[in-house]
Amino acid sequence: MARPKTSIRNEIRVLRFHQGEMTQQDLADEIGVTRQTVNAIEGGKYSPSLEVAFRIAQVFNKPLEDVFRYVVKPAAGWR
Amino acid sequence: MNASFEEKSAWIQLVSMVVTLALYFFVAVRMLAHGVTDLRAFAAVFFVAVMLMVIVLVAGHVVAAIVDRPTDPDERDRLIGWRAESNASWIVAVGVLTAVTGMVLSVENVWIAHVLMVSLFLSSIAKYVFQLVYYRRGT
Repeated sequence: MARPKTSIRNEIRVLRFHQGEMTQQDLADEIGVTRQTVNAIEGGKYSPSLEVAFRIAQVFNKPLEDVFRYVVKPAAGWR
Repeated sequence: MNASFEEKSAWIQLVSMVVTLALYFFVAVRMLAHGVTDLRAFAAVFFVAVMLMVIVLVAGHVVAAIVDRPTDPDERDRLIGWRAESNASWIVAVGVLTAVTGMVLSVENVWIAHVLMVSLFLSSIAKYVFQLVYYRRGT
C-alpha cells in the first residue's frame, strides 16, 4: 500500500503583504535565517524546523496553523 | 547571483579543490611516468598545491564577503551540509578499502598514498557538488 504524499503549504507571501509588504530579508533578519531560506520556505521547497516555524508565526502574530497547513495528497492505491 | 554566502562558499571551495587537484595530478602523473616513486618528492608538490588552494580559498572568500554581507550558516545550510557530507562519505570508505587491499597485495607506498589522497579529494568535490545541487533545488 503506497503512502500518501504530504506537503506543507504556507501563507507567508500573503502575510508579508499584509505586514506592509515586508521583504523576505526583513523576515529573515527577524527569525535568524538567510533570505534564501525564507525564499525556500515560502516556495514550499524547504520545510522549516518547528522552532523557525513558531518564530515566523510570532512575527506575524498568528497561530502556527494560520501560517502553515499540512496537506495530505492521497497516493494511488491509498485509502 | 541569488545565492547565500554559504552557497558562494561551496562554489569557491569546489573551484579551488578542482584547480588544485588538476594541477597536482598534472605534475604527479608526469613524475610517475618518469619513474619517480619517492613520496618526499610528491610531498613537495602537494605542499605547493595546498598553498595554492589556501590562496584561492582566502581570495575567493574575501571577494564574496565584499560582494555580499557574510552570514552565519542557518538550519537549512547545516542540513544541506550534513546531507551532502553523508552522501559523499562512501568515496573515502572505498578509498580506504582500496588502500588496505593494496597494502595486503604489497603495492608500492606511492600508489597507496595517491589512492587515499584521490578518495579524500573526490569525496570533498562530491560533497560540494551535492551541496550546490541541494541549494539550487531549495533543500
